[in-house]
Amino acid sequence: MSKDFSVHVEHVTRVEGHGNIILDVKNGKIEKLQWSVVEAPRFFEAMLRGQQYNELRPITSRICGICSIGHSLASLKATEDALDIKITNQTATLRRLAIHAENMQSHILHIGYLVAPDLFGAGSVFSMLGKHTDTVLKIVKLHRLANEMSDLICGRTIHPIRLVVGGFSMQPTEKQLIQLKKRLLEAQDLTQELAHIILNVADTLPSFTRETEYIGLTSDEEYSFYDGDIASTDTGKHPKYRDYKEIMQEYIVPHSTAKYAKHARDSYMVGALARFNLNSRQLHPVAQEIAALFKLKAINYNPYMNTIAQLVEFSHNIQDSIYIIDTLIDQGIKQEKPVKPEKKAGRGVGVVEVPRGILVHDYTLNSQGYCTKANCIIPTNQNHANIQKDMEKLVPEIINRPEKEIELTLEMLVRAYDPCISCSTHYLDVTFK
Amino acid sequence: MKKKIGVIGLGNPLRNDDAIGLLLLDYLHQNKKKLSKKIDFIDGGTSGMNLLHLLENYDTVLLLDAVDFKGTPGEIKKFTIDEINNQKIQLFLSTHEPDFLAVFALLKELDKGPTHLVIFGIQPKDVSHGMRLSQEINQMLPKLQKKILKEIQSMTV
Repeated sequence: MSKDFSVHVEHVTRVEGHGNIILDVKNGKIEKLQWSVVEAPRFFEAMLRGQQYNELRPITSRICGICSIGHSLASLKATEDALDIKITNQTATLRRLAIHAENMQSHILHIGYLVAPDLFGAGSVFSMLGKHTDTVLKIVKLHRLANEMSDLICGRTIHPIRLVVGGFSMQPTEKQLIQLKKRLLEAQDLTQELAHIILNVADTLPSFTRETEYIGLTSDEEYSFYDGDIASTDTGKHPKYRDYKEIMQEYIVPHSTAKYAKHARDSYMVGALARFNLNSRQLHPVAQEIAALFKLKAINYNPYMNTIAQLVEFSHNIQDSIYIIDTLIDQGIKQEKPVKPEKKAGRGVGVVEVPRGILVHDYTLNSQGYCTKANCIIPTNQNHANIQKDMEKLVPEIINRPEKEIELTLEMLVRAYDPCISCSTHYLDVTFK
Repeated sequence: MKKKIGVIGLGNPLRNDDAIGLLLLDYLHQNKKKLSKKIDFIDGGTSGMNLLHLLENYDTVLLLDAVDFKGTPGEIKKFTIDEINNQKIQLFLSTHEPDFLAVFALLKELDKGPTHLVIFGIQPKDVSHGMRLSQEINQMLPKLQKKILKEIQSMTV
C-alpha cells in the first residue's frame, strides 16, 4: 500500500527539554524518521568546577528531581574514590537501602502513572479514574511507601540531605526500620496484586524485538545497583571502572542537542531491561516469579518489556530491602560519624545504577579539595541512539497500520525507556483569566 | 486532623532565578520564630509527582515558585489555581514532565490533598543554567524576603 503521511509528536508545553518524534512517509516510503531531543546543553559539569569536594553532592542532587539519590551516590562514590575514603559496611548497606527506595519511587511512577494508561487504553492516569480507581489507589499506596522510605533513609523525599561524603549525617533508628519492614511486607502483597492486574492487559505491549547490546553493572555478590563491574551482554565484564569511556563512547548527532552513545554496536540500551538481561539469575525468587508470570527471560530483546523489567525490579527492591533491614537490626544500628578524608587531591570515578540505567560521575580534585574537572554520563543519553535504531526497525513493520496507531506505538516505545528529558527546570508558565 | 500548613518552595538552584522559591523558603525557615508553629517548611525542588504524598498532609499549602506570567522581573503575584487559564493536564511522556498543577489536579480527583492552595509566583528574568541570580532578582531579594514574610505572617496567624 502506498500512502503519504506524517507523524510529528512534539512536546512544546514546556520551554526546554523535549523529545520529538518525526516521521514523514511518501508513497509508502519513509523519507524521514528521527528521534530528536531538543534539550539545552547541560552545564552541570561546568558548575561543578571550582566547587569544594563536599559541595559536589548537594549540587549534583539537583540535576534531577527523580534520580536525586542516584546522582548523590554516584557523586559520593566519585569523591570518596578521589580522596581514598573507605566507608563503613553500615554506610554501604544503608546506601543500598537508599538506592532501593529511589528505584521503587521512580519505577512505580513510570509503571503506574505513565505506562498503565497506555495498557488500559486511557489517555492519562486521570482517565483511568472511575473504571480503574482501585488500581490507581494501589499505585498511589506503593508510591507513598517508596517516598516515605526515601524520607526515612535520606532525610527527605527528594533531594536527600543525610547522604554525605564518608557516610551519613544521621542514621535511622531500629524502631523506624522495624516499622518500615512492616510496611514493606504489606507492599509485597500489593505488588503481587498489581502484577496480576498488569498481566491482564500486558498483551497491549507490542511484541517488537531488535537485537542490541545491554550495558549495566554486574557483581558476583548481588543484583547490582550500588556496586559492581561495568558489563555488556556482548563483551562481558570490564572491571576497570575508571576507563568507562572505553565502554560508553559518547558522540554528537546533528539533529539532537543531547549526546548519543555506542559501544560494540551502533547503539546500546541501559536501564531495568539491561540489568535484567545481565543479572536476572540474582533476582530474589519472588521477583523471578513475577518475571515468569510475564514470560520474561534473559536475554529479552523487546524494549517495551523494560516496563515489566521495572515491575520485576520493584519486587526485588522490596525483598532485598527487607533482607537489608533484618541484617541491620541483627548487627545493631550504630550512630556512626562520616569518615573524614586524609588527603584533598585525586581523580575519582563513581558508578551506580539509577532507575534509567548506569550513571557515571568522574571528578578531579586539586590539592585544596576543589574540583578542577568533572564528567557525568547520564543514562538517558546512552539510550537515545537505541531508541532511534528501534524506530528504524519498527516503523517498516507497522507502516501499513492506521496513522494514530503508528503514533501511539512510537510514543509507547519512547515511554518504555522512561527518558529523562526535561528534569532540570521547574518554573510554571501561566496566563491569567 | 490536618491542621498543619505546608509552605513549599519549588525550583532548581542550578537554573539561576529558578532558585527564588527555595531562597525565599530558606529565609522563612530562618525566621520561623516570627511565624506560626503550625507551619512546615518543605523544599520541593524539582520533584514533580513525588510531591503527591507531601501535599496530602496539609489543609493549606502556600507555594513559592518562579512563575513566568510575563511580568517584570521580581514582581510577585499571589493567585489560586482557579485564577489561571492553563489548567489542562498534560499527557505525560516522561516522569519528569508533570508539573505542580498536574499533581494538584490528581490529588483533587482522588479527593485528597489541601483544600486551600495559594501560589506566590515570582517573575524570573533568567532561568538558563547557572547558580547565580540575575542582577534584578538579586537586588530585589531583601525586599522580596520581607514581603513574603509579611504575607505569610498575615495569612497564618
